[in-house]
Amino acid sequence: MENLLDINFLIESFPAIVSRLPITIGIAVGSLVLSLFIGVFTALIKIYKVPVLSVVTSIYVSFIRGTPLLVQIYLVFYGIPKIIYYLQIEYGWLQSADVNSIAPEVYALLAFSINLGAYLSETIRSAIESVDRGQFEAAKAIGMKPTQMMLQIIFPQALAVAIPNLGNMFISTIKDTSLVFIIGVVDIMGQAKILGSRGLAFFEVYIAVSIVYWILCIAVERLLVKLEKRARRYERGIAS
Amino acid sequence: MIKLENIHKYYDSHHVLKGINIGVDKGEVVSILGPSGSGKSTLLRCINFLEQPTSGIVEIGGKRVNVESASKSDVFALRTSTGMVFQQYNLFKNLTVLQNVMIGLTSVKQLKKDEAKKRSLEILERVGLSDKLSHYPAQLSGGQQQRVGIARALALNPEVLLFDEPTSSLDPELVDEVLATIRAVADTGKTMFIVTHELNFAREISDRIIFMEDGVIIEEGTPEQLFTDPKMERTKQFLSKATRNN
Ligand SMILES: Nc1ncnc2c1ncn2[C@@H]1O[C@H](COP(=O)(O)OP(=O)(O)OP(=O)(O)O)[C@@H](O)[C@H]1O
Ligand SMILES: [Mg+2]
Repeated sequence: MENLLDINFLIESFPAIVSRLPITIGIAVGSLVLSLFIGVFTALIKIYKVPVLSVVTSIYVSFIRGTPLLVQIYLVFYGIPKIIYYLQIEYGWLQSADVNSIAPEVYALLAFSINLGAYLSETIRSAIESVDRGQFEAAKAIGMKPTQMMLQIIFPQALAVAIPNLGNMFISTIKDTSLVFIIGVVDIMGQAKILGSRGLAFFEVYIAVSIVYWILCIAVERLLVKLEKRARRYERGIAS
Repeated sequence: MIKLENIHKYYDSHHVLKGINIGVDKGEVVSILGPSGSGKSTLLRCINFLEQPTSGIVEIGGKRVNVESASKSDVFALRTSTGMVFQQYNLFKNLTVLQNVMIGLTSVKQLKKDEAKKRSLEILERVGLSDKLSHYPAQLSGGQQQRVGIARALALNPEVLLFDEPTSSLDPELVDEVLATIRAVADTGKTMFIVTHELNFAREISDRIIFMEDGVIIEEGTPEQLFTDPKMERTKQFLSKATRNN
């Protein structure tokens, strides 16, 4: 008789898929960290209206928002080796880099950092600008240096404002990492594809992988709620 | 000990301070009165460079700064030798009461944590907030917040305290506790500039009153002189009108 699903195959595919979870999480978390740096840096460029860099930032953000992520991944994957190769031949730079030995995971990490960085830039900028002017003035009035003011007063308050948005973007990024198999990264999606074609049971493996994504995203959402509470604790609760 | 010489401030073409000259001795309490928009806040904010003055000289505790050629370290020196108390308190919202007072000592003066904590506790004791150390600003009344604001300004032991309408955002029943705190600080011999609309308080606490209008000092003198026998017609009008409204 004909079965809708090969349940056994579905269940048996989980361990192999889950074993690639570190790749998915690694790319997502790694690009979150890198993109936070990009986001803060470009946000400050915009806020302080740094000449030239301000324009570069605008073009960067606009380009990333206006082009598909898939295309950006290809641009990084094919573009960066070419650029490195060109620099080696023309200028003798980066001689120690062996283009052929760069793992596809590295390109994935870069592509996602560049992509997420552009989206975070706007969120971080508006979060910083939402901090009351009086906070800046009070920090300056007691003689704090700009870096001290930013790190100790402004960023913590901006973070509390930005966490819901940052969280949503991070969750989107987790899901978007499912694209990385196109450049040869075997993440949970890549693994599902491999299993699927091996057993000719694509429906089963995609159900399995969707469940893994779903659980991962629920876990991250929970974590975000906790983080937000913690970041906003000064708005109500008593310090311990 | 504090000298402002010929301070001018323009916002674009808008001439807000038109040559302000003030000399204040150590321990003097000076209140600045005047109608809205006369430049009182701008004057205070020019002293610590929250606004960049257009021209003039600011001298505090022997440090003389020509504002047009002020370096970063000049600005830093002026800011650490002044303490400012804001109308909206502007306490650091993400820090506790104790941390608000300590942060200037640990970050700006680079004191050891224990030392900073010890000094902060003493100062918070003086403003009567020893029981709120681990509260965040959002958990305090306006009056309590402003007393923390005063403690924070005092922490760096500045040469002069600058108060910009310290009680104007407070519910009427909370004004007295803040005025009492300011009075207690004045009694320790701190030099202070106070911009206020509390005329009775200004009269009682000040050694000198400055009346400003339209970016210039119209008249100055002891409270007695100004309140009982003002020389200028404008001062008379302002005081009688303001007293009626009080
Ligand atoms: N950032 C600014 N940009 C442009 N103009 C400003 C700025 N800040 C103040 N002004 C102008 O400078 C003048 C003086 O303002 P200031 O706030 O010093 O007055 P004030 O005496 O403190 O008034 P109030 O009693 O209402 O607080 C006003 O005309 C005001 O509009
Ligand atoms: Mg004012």
